[in-house]
Amino acid sequence: MDLRTRKLFDRSLTGVSVMAVALMALALAILLAPIVARGLGAFFFRATSEFRRFNLEQFDRGDPRAVAAETRAVAAARRPVYDMLAAFEDELAELDTSRRPALRKQLREVKEGLVELLGPPPGEIAAVMLRQQYGQTRWDRARGKLAGILFAVKWDYSDPSRMGRKVLVPRRSAFAGTRLEPLFPYLERNLKAMLRPRPVFYWRFLADRSLDSHFFGGIWPEILGTVYLTLGAMLLAIPFGVIAAVYLSEFAAAGRVVSLLRVCISTLAGVPSIVFGLFGLAFFINTLHLSRSKSVLAGSATLALLILPTIIRASEEALKAVPRSYKEAALSLGASPLRMVLTVLLPAALPGILTGIIISMGRAAGETAPIIFTAAVSVGQPLKLWETLSQPTPALPWNIYNLATEHQAVDEIRHVQFGMVLTLVLLVLLLNLAAILIRARISKKMRG
Amino acid sequence: MSDAASRLRRLAAFLSKSLLLMATAMSLVAVLLIIVYIARDAIPFFKLHGLKELFASAAWFPSGTPPEFGAWAIFVGSALVTAGAVVVAVPLGVAAAIALSDILPYRLRQAVKPVIEVLAALPSVAYGFFALVIFAPLLQQRGGSLLAVAAWLVLLPLGLLLILIVSGAATRSVRPDVAPAARWILAAALAAILLRGLLALGSLLASLTVASGTNALNVSVVLGVMALPTIVSVAEDSLQAAGRELREGSYALGATRAETLFKAVMPAAGSGIIAAVILGVMRAIGETMVVWMASGNAAQVPQPWYNLLSPVRTLTATIAGDMGEADQVLGSSRYHVLFALALCLLVISLLANLGSEWILRRKQRRLGGAK
Repeated sequence: MDLRTRKLFDRSLTGVSVMAVALMALALAILLAPIVARGLGAFFFRATSEFRRFNLEQFDRGDPRAVAAETRAVAAARRPVYDMLAAFEDELAELDTSRRPALRKQLREVKEGLVELLGPPPGEIAAVMLRQQYGQTRWDRARGKLAGILFAVKWDYSDPSRMGRKVLVPRRSAFAGTRLEPLFPYLERNLKAMLRPRPVFYWRFLADRSLDSHFFGGIWPEILGTVYLTLGAMLLAIPFGVIAAVYLSEFAAAGRVVSLLRVCISTLAGVPSIVFGLFGLAFFINTLHLSRSKSVLAGSATLALLILPTIIRASEEALKAVPRSYKEAALSLGASPLRMVLTVLLPAALPGILTGIIISMGRAAGETAPIIFTAAVSVGQPLKLWETLSQPTPALPWNIYNLATEHQAVDEIRHVQFGMVLTLVLLVLLLNLAAILIRARISKKMRG
Repeated sequence: MSDAASRLRRLAAFLSKSLLLMATAMSLVAVLLIIVYIARDAIPFFKLHGLKELFASAAWFPSGTPPEFGAWAIFVGSALVTAGAVVVAVPLGVAAAIALSDILPYRLRQAVKPVIEVLAALPSVAYGFFALVIFAPLLQQRGGSLLAVAAWLVLLPLGLLLILIVSGAATRSVRPDVAPAARWILAAALAAILLRGLLALGSLLASLTVASGTNALNVSVVLGVMALPTIVSVAEDSLQAAGRELREGSYALGATRAETLFKAVMPAAGSGIIAAVILGVMRAIGETMVVWMASGNAAQVPQPWYNLLSPVRTLTATIAGDMGEADQVLGSSRYHVLFALALCLLVISLLANLGSEWILRRKQRRLGGAK
């Protein structure tokens, strides 16, 4: 190869590898951007009058008089809508019989859409489910519902070689010439007056319980469940992990036993998380009967096994980083090895151990597979501390899965899903940030 | 010090040491318990149905009458998705590791570290959510053009580089006064062929319709990104461990950086890179949430087998998904078959882990011996 080709090759290697790093950063950005942007939508959004009425009636929050005044005002703005509906229903009986069935079907869809948009019409008996008692609480959702009223969805299968195409047909044309025709422009023009959107910062998304399976309210039970599971796992794993690290770094003589133990630790680290879940079910619940069925305790125990290797490895690194002179000084003063560990070694290694603990906390908080069979349920109330011994709990990771795939109205609660993902991601990233800061302080101290 | 006191002290030291050993043995106990309890619930399945049904048949109808437990399609699904993840993650991960160990300046390297840490720290359910809610619709609507753009981005630079090298090598024996001209003519001809091929491939890919965004391709890409941090950090460690002297020796002989990396550093760090790849593969095989949410969960062998655009089902997703229905029928074949699948998963991960451990340890011994 001539020199030019060699140089070209060299430069292209530089280019390719720098591009790989850039791609990695890009992947992270692509991953986080929508989660952050749409996740913030769970906290900052334009809340409608229905949101304020809901908060007053369900959570006893807000000024009753102001809400009552607002309810009267929006009811006045909505009045013509119901008048037009009533007028059209009278008219429908006199219409041409050939048009009637199609119009009746469309009318039913419009009425259903209006209930979802504005809540039940005045004078109707309150429905059982909360989502039927209130209209849209968020302005962005209300706009979506409005589109559903203004346009009917049709599928175009005229081209057999392709999949069906979605076509939006304005309903106004279907009702042309009837008394309902003016309803559509009226809705479009006056939706703001009917719902009065105002920007809010709904920080209580973190602190409210959810109502009507996450159609309303926040994610407090999930957050609490995740906190319980994580703390429980740490409580069980930290003693064993740190002791194991102390033994491996200070007391163990190199030999068969120790290398066996090390192989076991790395094996444990490599076991797939779903296998941990099955093991937790088979051992903690079906064999040991820690609890009758799923419980926070069983989930914590399973998670503890999962993070044990991480804690052991991090703690061992931290212990090994303590200068030999510390230990030798303590021993030469006549301290027993155990005393040296407790009074000199562990305090000196504490920040490093803490870093490992915090990182594994993040891991425990985010794991889903081990808690599916051992601890997680999709709907539940916030638990009291003693109930964690016997009761299952909702948890952030599991409920993200559940709401995104198994919920009956996946598209209606996207904001809740994104809010949950953002909360979980922020929780994990904050824990990691704390670990990074502690580590930076250690390396500064070591240098100083 | 009196005799009794010193004996007491030695006893205390012995006791505390054995207590420490017992706590350390916890991980040994855990590994044994996991193997025993997974195997204990898997054996009834093999007793009832034998080995052949699970591995040789692709008919997975656990709730049919009679139920059928042919998991061949599920094994194929796991393998396909993992292979896809390897294709995405290994070149990217190794290249990034090279950049981090040899190419980027110190400051930039420190800036990239947090990116890797965040990628590693993000919960798998967040990746799964991304795959299902954002990536899958995108793939379904613009899958063809996305693939075409990706093909251009990857193949064009690589192809041009290859052409330059090939044309240089092919015209080396030509007379020196006409060699440059011959070289450029050859390069232009090859480039024309490359462009023609890329245009054809691009329009072929762009015309593909993606029936469903939740498919093997989606999962492969996301799993690849998930496996990246593992591969990058382990590979980088082993590249660094190859040492400064090795590199300086190579530079002193007049090698360029690329030649140093490929001919001196990579052979020395090769076993570490293989271990990195194994660990990345394990991460992809063992991952549950992403595949459960975004792989489509169809227990069928893709037609043809390499068709990444068809939905697949993996071992982990089957265990996670079917246990919800199976734990009401505790003790049935439906319950035990999931443990049988978990046992397969466990065996794979144990073997891979021991393999990577063995490779790393052998290298350590060799490096230790060289000193």
